[in-house]
Amino acid sequence: MRFLIVDDSSTMRRIIINTLAKLGYNECHEAANGREGVERLANTPVDLVITDWNMPEMSGIDFIKAVRSNEATKSLPVLMVTTNAAEDDIVEAMKAGVNNYVVKPFTPDTIKEKIQAAVKA
Amino acid sequence: MLTALKSSTEEVFETMVFKPLVETPGAPGDGSGGTHVVAAVAFAGHRCGMVTFTSSLTAAKAITGAMLGMPEGDLAGEVPDAIGEVANMIAGTFRNKLAAVEPASAISVPAVTIGSDFHTQYGSHVRRAICPFEMDGLPVAVELILTGE
Repeated sequence: MRFLIVDDSSTMRRIIINTLAKLGYNECHEAANGREGVERLANTPVDLVITDWNMPEMSGIDFIKAVRSNEATKSLPVLMVTTNAAEDDIVEAMKAGVNNYVVKPFTPDTIKEKIQAAVKA
Repeated sequence: MLTALKSSTEEVFETMVFKPLVETPGAPGDGSGGTHVVAAVAFAGHRCGMVTFTSSLTAAKAITGAMLGMPEGDLAGEVPDAIGEVANMIAGTFRNKLAAVEPASAISVPAVTIGSDFHTQYGSHVRRAICPFEMDGLPVAVELILTGE
């Protein structure tokens, strides 16, 4: 399974990549914001996107809207990993088109469960 | 509120740093005597203020290495981003705990300062509370700064 990790924090990208490796997933591509994520998706096929919310240049919400408005990526599973966990935040992310939602801090089991749910959806 | 901040900090360290914290009595050091790292995340909305995370550079390197699964000797510039992410997760978890019982506040991106022999001056109208911990015997602290009523 191929992943695109979109996060402005290199630390969080590394943590997510390490977590995915523990779960047996070793093909990860990276982008530092939503704009880079859109560019990466245009030339790199992936099976699931994991994105942050708060990022410079293009936020996670705008990135997900861009993914959903593109014919080639509109059905791509997208998981949001963020500290934003208020009810209004989750509603906004779901409206934008996110498939599932992980609140930081997280455990590998949570990531595994959410990936499986996002892929099945 | 301090209970929420303490539990948020402990949760982040147990889950993402893989190093438990031990609450310690008394105030931490004054920041003199070596290089220190301070990461601050402001919040505004229903409440206004700031959450800061403070440690020595030694502790910051230990935290960064543990989070990234890297030997401390292999670190090359990762400390500011990693400690900023720690502060972001602490402030975000704290904000989410408060949002369960009151309107949510927004949080800022983290700002990280690394240096020695410095102190931060706040206005006289702010209220401050420090929560000192130890991680593997190294002192770390989180501080809550509130403005307004």
